[in-house]
Amino acid sequence: MMRGAAFALLLLGACDALPRDPAGTSARIERNRIFTVALADPALRSAPQVGRLVEEIERRTKARAQWRSGSGEPLFQQLDEGRIDLVIGRFTADSPWAADVAFAPALSTSGTKDAPIELKAAIRNGENRWIMTVERASRAISREARDQ
Amino acid sequence: MSQSSLPQELREPMARAIRLEYWNIFWTLTIIVTMGLVLGQSETMKTAWIEDTLGLVPPIMFLIAAHMERHSHRSRRFPFGFERVNGLGFFVAAVALTAVGALLLYNALMALGTQEHATVGSIVILGHDLWLGWLMLAAQIYSLIPPLFIGRKELPLAKQLNDKLLHTDALMNKANWLTGAAGLAGIIGLGLGWWWADSLAAAIISVDVLNDGIKALRSSTAELVDGAPRALSSTDLSQDAQKVCDRLQAEFPDATVRLRETGRLIRAEVHDTHPPSECRHPRHYWPDDEDRAWRLAQVSFIPPMEADEKS
Repeated sequence: MMRGAAFALLLLGACDALPRDPAGTSARIERNRIFTVALADPALRSAPQVGRLVEEIERRTKARAQWRSGSGEPLFQQLDEGRIDLVIGRFTADSPWAADVAFAPALSTSGTKDAPIELKAAIRNGENRWIMTVERASRAISREARDQ
Repeated sequence: MSQSSLPQELREPMARAIRLEYWNIFWTLTIIVTMGLVLGQSETMKTAWIEDTLGLVPPIMFLIAAHMERHSHRSRRFPFGFERVNGLGFFVAAVALTAVGALLLYNALMALGTQEHATVGSIVILGHDLWLGWLMLAAQIYSLIPPLFIGRKELPLAKQLNDKLLHTDALMNKANWLTGAAGLAGIIGLGLGWWWADSLAAAIISVDVLNDGIKALRSSTAELVDGAPRALSSTDLSQDAQKVCDRLQAEFPDATVRLRETGRLIRAEVHDTHPPSECRHPRHYWPDDEDRAWRLAQVSFIPPMEADEKS
């Protein structure tokens, strides 16, 4: 019984050890206690779900969000180069950027049924631990994200 | 003489092989579904999934060929029956393996060259966020188990039936642990933050697919162009055929012996000599144990031209 419990704990520990980030985003955020966020549309700053998402990530990482200005395509370029950790915006469900960045589950959906527009976070491709953190935070604050 | 192309003594092992191939298709489908559910963006998973899907080609081709060999009769339009359908199936499977292997290798090398970082996120299971990579590892481990057992059962049947299609399938199944191990290493490497591990594992798996395809292509084209019979597991000449050749050459030392293969059967032409005076069945010339004498389906004698005889 004790051996089983010890094995289960070991397994849980191993489960938590992976994944790691190729470019070390999570480790850097943990070390510097800062992560950088930009909004694809500055008007989103007042959206309650954006604030709640950033607060949830701050709580989970024990780091502070540092806001960066900018908009549109250059932000994705900066995200791809690792100069920004997170871009939050309203993106179409079949965004052409889907192959270049990773999207977290949508926090909310607007627009028409044929062309839905999703409020969601974009993260640098391949940074799997950091992606998981943002995905977990999205699910924690949004029922829609949880149901995806 | 049997009206279908399959020798009488092969009916029972062929029935067993057909049952086994139906099981093979069933288990392969369970693997394809399991792997498909957890594919994600991983290059390794995509390559392994395509390889598993391709694994359906040999058993399907085998079943089609077996059906035609067993149930289609010789006719005016097909006087030799359908004994070469198996060879055609082998060729189709070989082309599919080679083409897809080359495509997968290209994709993997492109992903390595452009330094693509594969995203493998999380999934919610029973209220818990779980890294999708763990499910990928579980699916990879599952995909190793059925082929191992099926490959072991296929191998003796393939030898008994002298069936290259079945033999290629058996070897692919038996060697599946290698691609499985590469797949597991790729996902674990990805989890450890080595972005290149995913594409590298995909490249290794695709080289294996390509290698299987090229070997099968060489062997199958040899049969289609009436090359000498090839061994089951390689492109070397068949030992059975070599013994038949030696046996005929010993009895007809001045003759030229030519052998070719039609499916699982060997056909011999003995040139520049007269046939023996007594009537002999082709099996008479089989040099080894009687059990495999069915392989020699035809021995034809082509006498020398009259002018040659006079000189």
